[in-house]
Amino acid sequence: MAADEAFDALADPVRREILTLLAQNDECSAGELSDRINRVGRTAVSSHLRVLRTAGLIAERRNGRFRYYSVDATGPAQDVIQLLQELFQGSLDAAKAAVETGAADADGSIRRAM
Amino acid sequence: MSRLALTAEQHVDAPPAAVFALFGAGTGAGWLFDAVCDRVALGAVVTLQAPMFGMAAGPVEILGRISAVRSPSRIEIRHDQPWRGRLRVHVDPDGSGTRVRLIADLDDAGLHWLMRRRGFSVPDGGVEGTHPVGLLTSKSGSASVFASATENLAAMAVEEINAEGGIRGRPVRLIVGDDATDPRLGTIEAWRLVHAGCRAIMASTTSATFTRAAHELRGADVLMVQPVMNEGGMGGGLRVQLGERPESQLRAAAAPIMEVAGGRRWFLAGNDYVWPQVVHSAARRVLADHGGTVVGEGFAPLGTRDFAPLIENVLRSGADIVLSSFVGADLVHFERQCHAMGVRERCRSLALALDEPTRERIGDDAASGMWGVSGYFEQLPGDINEAFLRRYRAAYGAFAPPVSSISESVYEALHLYAIAARRATDDDAVSTARELHTSHMAFPRGMVSVVGPETMQQRLFLAEATPGGFLVSRAG
Repeated sequence: MAADEAFDALADPVRREILTLLAQNDECSAGELSDRINRVGRTAVSSHLRVLRTAGLIAERRNGRFRYYSVDATGPAQDVIQLLQELFQGSLDAAKAAVETGAADADGSIRRAM
Repeated sequence: MSRLALTAEQHVDAPPAAVFALFGAGTGAGWLFDAVCDRVALGAVVTLQAPMFGMAAGPVEILGRISAVRSPSRIEIRHDQPWRGRLRVHVDPDGSGTRVRLIADLDDAGLHWLMRRRGFSVPDGGVEGTHPVGLLTSKSGSASVFASATENLAAMAVEEINAEGGIRGRPVRLIVGDDATDPRLGTIEAWRLVHAGCRAIMASTTSATFTRAAHELRGADVLMVQPVMNEGGMGGGLRVQLGERPESQLRAAAAPIMEVAGGRRWFLAGNDYVWPQVVHSAARRVLADHGGTVVGEGFAPLGTRDFAPLIENVLRSGADIVLSSFVGADLVHFERQCHAMGVRERCRSLALALDEPTRERIGDDAASGMWGVSGYFEQLPGDINEAFLRRYRAAYGAFAPPVSSISESVYEALHLYAIAARRATDDDAVSTARELHTSHMAFPRGMVSVVGPETMQQRLFLAEATPGGFLVSRAG
């Protein structure tokens, strides 16, 4: 799952509300979700569900002409561990770049900044 | 609780001393080596600005302190926000260059915080057979500075309550929510606590979060308590506001500060939300009563990092005293910039939310000339406080954040809640709230009496920032 996509998906309050509802109920149909979210209409809820599904945050199950949604339980721990791993590696890569492009003086001293 | 160790490694074509010297030097060497700290020394506070969720989202501040340092090879940081953990930096010779390794410990609480922030649902676990109580705190955003010890002290209170048999035969279970210093997220988290089954929520957040969450949860059968200093006005029914009131703090501090400052002209500066606004209107009344005058006023939104225009107004106003109603990281940045821009040479500063976790991040030099006023400081004498601090250090170690009125108030509120819930005629929120209105107990800050839904009687203390802490005296 792309990290930025998930973050964008969560930037919207309606999508957060959908996730909260799904976290409290194992599975909800699109209709049940629309009934419980009053601030936007049914079509808007559908498009929010599409964004959440594309971002890998929720799973969809079809049964006849009904669609049911639930929180995607696969891999959230893996996702955040990878996020941290990239964050840590990035910090060391930046330190390497800073040293090797001469941020430090030859004797190892560095001007301390506030 | 499981614990993961994550590692990253890099080879650098430079000697270890050059790599080590980069730490804390602010040279643009990445978020880890650009740690903000006044000193690279044992016990010094450190802030890491980690771009955890992409640059667009702004950095998440990792707040900790240096728990081990050996030049030029080892730095260890124990951090408390947004979760408790340890970061170790190893700098070792590697051929003609250096091998840098970063080892980070991550426990379940940290993992869950990250998962929630990324939008994943994390089950809170069953609450059957327990008495679930929520703690709404700020693990990220500006308020995470003053909330550093809040979760530790809530957990300590719960442990003590459970050692006394819990509430009505059930152990209290603490469920923690993070408002990220954002009222909208705070309300979502408060609902999560309600849906997890919490009977009461201790909202140790800014009033911006408390007022919004308290309003939006009006249909929920949950008792909401604001333990920390606040402006009042929302108490009643299932809402209880404890903590210091701005008017009492100002009445206790106004005259002594004017005497120290040798002047009566005040500039009022604070964050732009309900508490600082009420602080300023109370200040106009109180200062008029004490012969003070207000020569200027300015607000900045929570999360502001550049206060230069506002500070220029302070300097132009000719004020003798700045009433600083900023909170957390905003207070840190405002005061550091005041110091850098020469405000300290002309003005004293009174900050109602100045506590030790905030003072130590402002730093010894920049905090000189600042005063705080509240019901608790670690330095207070007394057996109860001594024993309390001993238990805190035994449980959380020498590098745990200092205790302040803000974090200690949560410890008190949970104990008062437990007493009220045990005494209540019915096992429900209304009955517990009623009992809470008449509760009292001797705490580390002294005797505390709750009178009605929003009055807590307590002593207040004045504190002058000094290198390494505060000089505390009884107010009034």
